[in-house]
Formats: sequence, C-alpha cells, structure tokens
Amino acid sequence: MTKAVHRKALAGFGLAAIVATAVLVTVPSQAAGPRDQLREKFDKALKGKTVAWSPVWMGVLESEWTRVMKDRFDDYGIKLVTRDANMKSDIQLQTVSDYINEKPDVLVVQNPNVTLLAKELKRAMDAGIYVVQVNMASNTLSDAYVGVDAKDLGTKIAREVINQCGGGKGSGEIAILEGEATAAYSLDMKNGAMEVFKTDPSIKVVSSQPTSWDANKAGDITTTVLQQHPKLCGILSVWGPQTAGAAQAIKAANMGDKVKVFVASDGQPADCDLLEQGAFSANLSYRADVQGQTIADAVIALLQSGDKPGSKNVAYYTTPAWVKSKDDRMYCFSIPKGAK
Amino acid sequence: MTGISGARGPKLTQTTAVLAMCAVLIVVFSIFLKGFLTLGNLFALARNISILGILALGMAVVVIGRGLDLSQVASFAASTAIAIILMNSGYATPVALLIGFVMAIAIGILNGFLISVIEMPPLLTTLASSLAVLGIVRTTAVQHYVVYLSKGHDEFLRLGGNIWGGVPISILIFAATALVVHLFLSRTVIGRFVYAHGDNPDAARQTGLPTRPLTMIEYALCAAIGYVGGVVMVAQTALMHLQVAESTIIFDVIMVVVLGGVSLVGGRGNVMSVIAGTLLIGVLLNGMTIMDMDVQTQNIVKGIVLLIAILLDSRLHPRDEETSKQGD
Repeated sequence: MTKAVHRKALAGFGLAAIVATAVLVTVPSQAAGPRDQLREKFDKALKGKTVAWSPVWMGVLESEWTRVMKDRFDDYGIKLVTRDANMKSDIQLQTVSDYINEKPDVLVVQNPNVTLLAKELKRAMDAGIYVVQVNMASNTLSDAYVGVDAKDLGTKIAREVINQCGGGKGSGEIAILEGEATAAYSLDMKNGAMEVFKTDPSIKVVSSQPTSWDANKAGDITTTVLQQHPKLCGILSVWGPQTAGAAQAIKAANMGDKVKVFVASDGQPADCDLLEQGAFSANLSYRADVQGQTIADAVIALLQSGDKPGSKNVAYYTTPAWVKSKDDRMYCFSIPKGAK
Repeated sequence: MTGISGARGPKLTQTTAVLAMCAVLIVVFSIFLKGFLTLGNLFALARNISILGILALGMAVVVIGRGLDLSQVASFAASTAIAIILMNSGYATPVALLIGFVMAIAIGILNGFLISVIEMPPLLTTLASSLAVLGIVRTTAVQHYVVYLSKGHDEFLRLGGNIWGGVPISILIFAATALVVHLFLSRTVIGRFVYAHGDNPDAARQTGLPTRPLTMIEYALCAAIGYVGGVVMVAQTALMHLQVAESTIIFDVIMVVVLGGVSLVGGRGNVMSVIAGTLLIGVLLNGMTIMDMDVQTQNIVKGIVLLIAILLDSRLHPRDEETSKQGD
C-alpha cells in the first residue's frame, strides 16, 4: 500500500515535472513565436530594399523629409537613394527615368506639377515598383499619396481671412501672392480660397500675382499693391519664404498694424520666428517631420503589403494646424542639433 | 569713341528713344490707371527698380568693355549669403558685409583672369563660374537655399526702409551708385580705357592699354556693384534666397542694359542709358502690377520690349566683323 502510494506519488511528481517542463518550454516559445515571426517577416520584407527619392529640389521642407526618411530607413536596413533635381523639370524627369531602369523597390516622388511625371509613374508601377507621391498628386494615381490637400488648405485659410477681414471687421480688401503661375500646388490653394471668397460679398480680391516663390518679387508687388489700396486688410500667401519679403515691405511702409498676413506653409522654423516677431498674423502650418514619418510609414506598409504595384491607391492627407501665437510653436518643426 | 555721348551717327540715340517711350507710357498710365501718378506710387516704383538698376550699372561696365557677366547674380547671392551667415554668427555687421564684398570682388577678378589671361569666352566662362560659385557655397556653407537674417539687425534692415516721409533708401543707394559709376566712366583714366577696350580691343591692346588687368577690373567692378544690389535686396527682405541665381533676373539686368543703349558691340552707352532702361522696365512692371495683369501677358510685354530694344540696337549699331557682339 505504502509502496503503491509512494509509486503513485512518484508518478504524480514525474507527471508534474513533465507538465512543468513542457509548460516552461512551450509557453514562452508559444508567446515569442508570433512576435519573432512578425519581426522576421518585417525584416524580410524591408531589409536590403531600396527606396529611390526624387524631390523637386532640396529646400528646407525636402531636407527635413529626407532626414526623417533616412533616419527610419537606416534603422530597418532600407537603402535610400536621393537625387536633387534643383527645380529643373528636365533633370527630374531624367532622374525618375533613370530610377525606373535601376529598379528600386519603391519610388518616392515630389511632383512639380500634375503632368510632368505622370507617364513615368505609370511606367514605374508597370515595372513592378511601388510609387509614393508627396505633397502634390499627379494625374496618375499611384500606390500612395502623402501630403496636404492644397485646395483644402486654401479653403481653410480663406475662412480665417473672412473671419478677420470680412463682414465689417476689416475693409474686405485682399491681395493674393501666388507661388508659380503654373504650379498646381499654389493654383489649387488659390482656387480653394477663391471659392470661399466668392460666397462673401464683403471680400474683394484686389490683386492676385505670382511671385515665382521669390521674396524680393513678393516685396515689390506688395509695395505697389499697398500704394494702390491703402485700405488693404490682408495678404494671403502660399509659402513662408516669399511671404517674408511681403512682410518686410509692409514693415517698410509702416502698415504693420493695418495689414494682416495670412500664410500657409510647411512649418519651417523661420515661419514660426516671423509669426512671433509679428511679421505674420496667422500661419496654417504642416510639419515636415511628421510628413516625413508618414512617407516612411507608407513605404513600409507597401513593402509588407504583398500587393501588386498600382493595384491600390491610398492617401495619407496631412492635417495642418494654425500657428497664431508663441504657444503654437509645436506646429513648426525643429531640426535636431547635429542633424545633417 | 563716342561712348560718353552714347551716340554715333544718327541724332536719335537709343537712350533718348527709350526715355521718350517711357514718357509716353507715364502719360498713358497716368490717364488710364487710377493711382499711378501719386507720390506714394512713384516711391513704390523707385523702390522696385533700384535693385535692378544697381545690378545693371555693374553689368554696364562689363558690357561697355565688350564683355558679358552671366555670373553677377550668382556672385552677389553667394557673397551676401555668406555675409548673412557671418552676421547671424555674431560678426559685427560692417565686418561681415566687408567679407562678403571681398568675396564678390574675388569672384569678379577670377572671371576677368579666366577671360583675359586664359582667353576663355566670357559668355561660357561666366555661365560656368556662376554654377561653380553657387555649387561651392551651397555645399560648404549654406545648408538650405533660403538664408534668413536673424533677429537684432534692425540698424542694417533700415537700409531697406524709407526716410523723409516715404523716400525709399534703396533709390538713394541707386542714385549714389549711378553717380560713382558715372564719374568713374567719364572722369577717370581707367573709365576712358574701358570705353577704348570695348570700342576696339585689338587697337586698345596695340596702343599699349593693359587690357588684361583692365578686364579683371571690369569684372571685379561688375561683381562689386552687384554685391551692393544684393545687400539692398537682403535689407529689403531680411533673407537671401539663393534660387535668385537661377531665376530670370540676370536676363532682366541684360535687358535693362541693352534697352537703354549700352550696346553689346561694346564701347557705347553710359550711366544715363542704364537709368533710361531701368526706368522703362520699372514703369512697365508697375503699370502691369496695378492692372493685375497675369504673368503670361507680362512676359509677352517684356519679350516684345526686349525685341524692340535689340532691333534698335541692331539699327543704330550694325554688326560687322569688327563689332561682333557678345552672344552672336
């Protein structure tokens, strides 16, 4: 009896030990398995892949996108190739054609207008390359679009202009500083703004001139417009650096108290500086560093998707935020010290 | 050598023709454009043309010496960007501006050296040097295309403002530069040499003029005067956008110079020609901005005016083997 009890007890212990060992061995491996597999799958999808990036030029905004993308891609073992087209359409077209021949896994492009790269982007997707477009969509839809909705930006900024200059709060006289006459980004923004302005009879657009993104030209136009329209209430402008020239012209004319400057810009640090100095009245800002993260996310999602390039079109629209005082500084990005 | 009078042969000089065109435009605009003939608008006009005028004065010196400097804008953009960076990093404003000035002059001397000693063609030399200068500055010193002047330079920024109830300081700088260039060209020996050099370079060399140092002086002056324009531009906008070097401003400068009667043949024209050309372009641009004319129409008008200027230049200064022009 005692022996039997003893044997049973031993068997019980043995069973318990086996179960315990099994639990010890299997439970952790069951928990780690999927996680490890996830990382393995992630690494397999991403490591050694190449992303080819073609910006219109390497301005402050584009440098920040590039910095963030490179930072993330380096971490995942993705290679980033960058070629600056320096605002030259022919060079950018050539760059994108070369990229397609080099067969990267993903092509990221910033379109200068809606047509220039349209055919090449289609060719890229046909060749099995994922295409991500940044801040301005071309006539060819691609796997992903990351960026602002320029027309929506124009609508929002126009509503703010009406708030401060329309309906008896100001003279209602507005001047628009466009960017390039042919750039869809500034055209879309202007069209969005004009649609809103048309709904309010108290608003009168007295001038709408392209500045070629040039601060000096913006200053010249502003000087002339201020003379012709001394009751001017506001200037709506589509980019920070050109608007800085207009703001200086207003300052030189001693009209800083009368004329409000509304700008939509890419969140470069100088935009917030100028707002804090009182040169800008309101800045509808989007952060380039956040956009850079989103571009990287779009690339990472595509590489893991298993979809055929060109089979889906996903948009990641940027949400802009108002910078109206020092407290809104976080809506301008800051370039980390030591960043290249 | 009839450069100082600006005329050879016909009584009607290009300068007087352009001034007449300008007068007609002013009358037409005054009648049809509300607000054109007001003191305020004239000051605005003056502010807007002063930078172009200053740049054109520099270019005129080179063109009179039968050269052409396509690197002038790149040179002032690069040197003022360096000056801004130095000012931002704590250098005293005059020191920073002086370093930029020396850099501009160095670029001018280098252009002159390549053209006169190595005997490279001016058109291609200055086209290449503009790319090189911009590239070097961009890769070494200027991280981004836009260089902002940091806070606390109000004294300097006053240069871009107005005095005496609205007179833009920039027009005073233009006037002062015009006076200095006029005195240089008409009253100094080197100034007379520049005309001789442009009128007939071979004859100038054979009669013993130091044409090589002279070429270097011409290009150095062009760059130095261009730098003055660049400084005014910074004072007016509190930033330097390096992309200005790739804009069409250099063609506007050449247009102003040729328009007023500083012939690409060399040896002809004077400061008055530059003022006339600047004035005509200024009045046109001002009128078109008041009319809120779209950019395509503005370009058509500018193009037609330039074609008329070249036509006048060809009629008044016909080409022959001795007077082959820059760009021919």
